[in-house]
Amino acid sequence: MRVPVAFGQYVPVSSPVHTLDAKTKMGLVAVFTVGVFLVDGFWGLLAIAGCVGVALAFSMVPVRIALRGIRALTLLLSFTLVAHAVRWNPATVTLVRIGPLGIDGQGLVDGIFFVVRVILLVVGTSLLTLTTTPVQLTDGLERVMRPLEALRFPAGEVAMMLTIALRFIPTTAQEAEKIIVAQTARGARFDEGGLIRRTRAFVPVMVPLFVNLFRRAEDLALAMESRCYRGGPGRTRLNPSHMTVRDWLVLLCASAVLIVVGLLL
Amino acid sequence: MTRSRLLPFVRAALVAALIAASALVTVPIGPVPVTLQVLVIAVAVLVLSPAEAAAAVGLYLLIGAVGMPVFSGGGAGAGVLAGPTGGFLFGFFAGALAGAAIRRAIEATGGQRRGLLADIVALVVLVLVTYVAGLAQFAAVSGRSIADAFAVAVAPFVVIDLAKAAVAMLVARALRKAGLGDRVPPPA
Repeated sequence: MRVPVAFGQYVPVSSPVHTLDAKTKMGLVAVFTVGVFLVDGFWGLLAIAGCVGVALAFSMVPVRIALRGIRALTLLLSFTLVAHAVRWNPATVTLVRIGPLGIDGQGLVDGIFFVVRVILLVVGTSLLTLTTTPVQLTDGLERVMRPLEALRFPAGEVAMMLTIALRFIPTTAQEAEKIIVAQTARGARFDEGGLIRRTRAFVPVMVPLFVNLFRRAEDLALAMESRCYRGGPGRTRLNPSHMTVRDWLVLLCASAVLIVVGLLL
Repeated sequence: MTRSRLLPFVRAALVAALIAASALVTVPIGPVPVTLQVLVIAVAVLVLSPAEAAAAVGLYLLIGAVGMPVFSGGGAGAGVLAGPTGGFLFGFFAGALAGAAIRRAIEATGGQRRGLLADIVALVVLVLVTYVAGLAQFAAVSGRSIADAFAVAVAPFVVIDLAKAAVAMLVARALRKAGLGDRVPPPA
């Protein structure tokens, strides 16, 4: 039961990638995802890996940190590889055979392809959050979502809610921790009994959490209304962000490369 | 007091914060550390309006996408959403919306008497939608059959998910007794 203090993935170094506008990087991630899924051969993966490598080098993010995202997937990726490669009575080229089990040549190649694709996908997209602060991203998201307001999508409200949620994550986590400790002091046990009993132990944790949450929501809404918050059109901002010529150039050139790679290879 | 226009927005934002925070507080139950995200989402489906529940889960996904380590196992970033397990996260969103909407629809036909039925159906819908979306993306991204995906990504978690759903019903009942939660406006 521990709440990490330093939190988030942002790597605070100065690099040409860090200074790109958040919207540029979000656009690149979207194109990158499409590109990765269009690729259907190892040459394509190699080209995509080259793109990721170039971006990573420009971003000044330590490779160790950039690869951290894969660690959580190690188990899943190993399962994927094994499921592709190991067959009962393999029909095609068999590399190794142990009884009815065999390692299938084509299966192994397929497995490696999917594993490499997932690794590139995760490393490439994580560059966005490694080089952009959550505040910049929230701002960028609001701008990207603004055209949706024409379809009555509440972009301004979503940005407001996102800001509130980000602000209250540490508070809520501390509160949860406090309630767990308090209920433990009153004799609640989270480490005894079967599955049902252990899960049930969380009822006296969840109920006060939600009661506090409903109360806090009323207080916060009242406080915002007393301060005349009305959101929506006409709201000004302290640090407006703009896409520069450099942003457009990077976005267009990189997108062109990714799409060409995706379609050709 | 008149109902606040801002209240639904603020409430959804705070529930999103709670879902995110519940990923940070891990409780060591047995060999696998258990997080309470699924439990919080299930309670949200039972005590929030469909729009609030969907907004809360959607915000949680956005928070994760912008880089806060709020996905299971401290994952973060758009990569998780695009990766093999991302379908379960999108499934939470669709499931929360569908579950809460169905609960409301059933409550509207029978009021208090159908409360238990409404809760059970809502949670079954939440779990099923989550599994279907999760399986589809898992199979597509990792290039494996649906049956394989089921064995790895769903089967080990069915029992614990059902246990969490049952606990969510107990929590929702306690909250309703305290006069909180999503109440269907009485028919005019």
